[in-house]
Amino acid sequence: MRRTGFLYDPRFLLHETGEDHPECPDRLRVIIAAMEQSGLMEQLVPIKAEKAKQRWIEAVHHIRYMLRFEETCAFGMPSLDHDENRICYDTYDVAILAVGGILKAVDAVMAGEVDNAFCAVRPPGHHAESDRAMGFCYLNNVAIAARYLQENWKIQRIGIIDFDVHHGNGTQHIFEQDPTVFYYSIHEHPSFAYPGTGRDFDIGIGEGEGFTKNSPVLPGRGDEEYRKRLTEELLPAMSAFQPQFLLLSAGFDAHRQDLMSGVNLSTEGYDYVSRLLIDLGAQLCGGRLVSILEGGYQLDILPLLVTNHIKYLAGLR
Amino acid sequence: MFVFNQMSKTLIHGEQAMTVGEARDLMREKRVNHLPITDAAGKLVGIVSDRDMRSALPSDLLNADSSYREEAAAVLHKPVSSIMTRNPVCVYPFNTFQDVLLLMQRHRVGALPVVDENGFLRGVVSGGDMLNAFIEVMGIDQPGTLLCILAPNQQGQIKKIVDIISDEGISTGSILVARGLQKDKKAFFPYLLTNNVRQVKKKLMEHGFEMLEPVQWYLDQLPKKD
Ligand SMILES: [Zn+2]
Repeated sequence: MRRTGFLYDPRFLLHETGEDHPECPDRLRVIIAAMEQSGLMEQLVPIKAEKAKQRWIEAVHHIRYMLRFEETCAFGMPSLDHDENRICYDTYDVAILAVGGILKAVDAVMAGEVDNAFCAVRPPGHHAESDRAMGFCYLNNVAIAARYLQENWKIQRIGIIDFDVHHGNGTQHIFEQDPTVFYYSIHEHPSFAYPGTGRDFDIGIGEGEGFTKNSPVLPGRGDEEYRKRLTEELLPAMSAFQPQFLLLSAGFDAHRQDLMSGVNLSTEGYDYVSRLLIDLGAQLCGGRLVSILEGGYQLDILPLLVTNHIKYLAGLR
Repeated sequence: MFVFNQMSKTLIHGEQAMTVGEARDLMREKRVNHLPITDAAGKLVGIVSDRDMRSALPSDLLNADSSYREEAAAVLHKPVSSIMTRNPVCVYPFNTFQDVLLLMQRHRVGALPVVDENGFLRGVVSGGDMLNAFIEVMGIDQPGTLLCILAPNQQGQIKKIVDIISDEGISTGSILVARGLQKDKKAFFPYLLTNNVRQVKKKLMEHGFEMLEPVQWYLDQLPKKD
C-alpha cells in the first residue's frame, strides 16, 4: 500500500463544451462516482486545487496566447483556435485551476506527503502548443509540471510518458530541443489518428536529439504492440536517461470501446501499461510519479480504467 | 492545381556559354539537382541533372591520383552544353499537377523545366515540389484523423459520406478512394481536420457504413499459407 494523492475539484466541471462533445464534464462525474462507490476515494490523500501562479504557466505558454485565451473566454466566444476546442466563460479559470492543482500534487510528492498522485483534471493538455489550443487542450498541464519541477524543485531530468492514444504534439514540440526532459509517447499511428504527428523518426532536434521517442501503433494492434513497444523501446530509453521524476500523460482513449481511436487496447492491456510504468518509476526514481488525466471518452469504460490505474498507483493491485 | 502554383519561382538557371565547372558550382551553391540551361536571350536549350554531372566527371575515389585532377580539370573546362540534355521534356505554367506527375512517371525524370509559349524559361518543377503539393492536397500538414470506411460499390456513396461529415460541421482535408479492396465494396479514406470524430463515426455506422480495420484488411490480403 502506497500513499497516493488524488487531485479533483468540482470546479473542473465548469468547463462546458456543449452538446455531443466527447470532452464533457460527465467524464469526471462518472470517475468520481465510481471511486466513491467502490470506497477507493477514502484510501487516497485528497489534494485541493488552487489557481496556478502565472509565472509557472508562462514557463511554457506565450503571454500573448494567455491573454488571447482569457479574452476569448471572457467575450463569450464558442471556441479557441478550432471549432473542436469549445470554451465557455469559465474555461480559462478552470484550466488555470487544473494546472495549479497539478503543481500542488507535484509539491505533495516532492515534500514526501504522498508517494505518488493522480490528477483527475479537465481540460486535458498534451495537444496544447505554447501558443495555440488544439485537440480539446488549452494549457499543456504535463509540460508546465515538468518546468515547475525543474525551476521550483531543482529536479534536473524529467521523464514524460504519454500513453494517451493520440500523440502529444504540444508536449513534443515544447521539449524537442531540450535534453533535460525526455518525452516518450505511445499512440495510434499518425497516418490514422489525430493529430497526424509522432512518427518514429521524430527523435528530437539539436541538443534534444535522442530525448524524444515515439512508438506509433497501427490500428487494431493494441495489446500485442503495446507490450512489445513498451518493453523494447520505452524501458531501455528511460533506463538510459535516468529520470529523477516521472510524469504520466494518462489517456484512456486507446480502449477498444472508445470510438476516438482504433488501436483496440483491452482493459488488461491498460493494466499491463499501468503496472509497467509504476514498476519503472519505482526502479528509476524512487516511485516519484504524478499521473495526469488526458483523454478517455467512452463513459461506460472510463471509470473502470481510471480506477484500475489508481489502484496500481496506490499498490492496491 | 496548375504548375504555376507549384514551381520554384526563384529562377536558378545556367547559360549555354557556361563551363561544366561553373554549372557544377552553381548547382552546389544553390543546392539544386537540376539546372535548366538557356541561351543568352533566356530561351530554354537544355537541362543538366546531378546525374549528368556525376557521369561526366571521373570518380571521386580517384582524387588522390594526379591523373584524376587532370581529367577532372579537362571536363570542368568543357562547355556545359556538351553534357546537357537538349530539347528536354518541359511543361507550361498552365499544365496541371496531374500532367506533371504523369510526365515525370513516363519520362523517368526528377524535374521538368517550365517555359512560356515562346520557349522562355519560367521556372522548374521538381519531384520535391510535387511531394509538397501532395502533402498539401492530402491535408496531412494539418492536424486530423483518417477514417477508413467500407461502402457498397454503388453510386452515391461518397455523397452520403460527405453529407454526414458536413452535417457534423467538420472540414475535410482530403478523401481518397480505393476500388478493388474487396469484391463489391469500395473503401473511402476521408482525412478529417479534427480530433472530434466520435459522433461522425457513430452517424456513419448508423447509416450502415462499415469501419474498415486497415491492418486486419492488410493481413487478410496476404497470401495464405497452406
Ligand atoms: Zn487522446
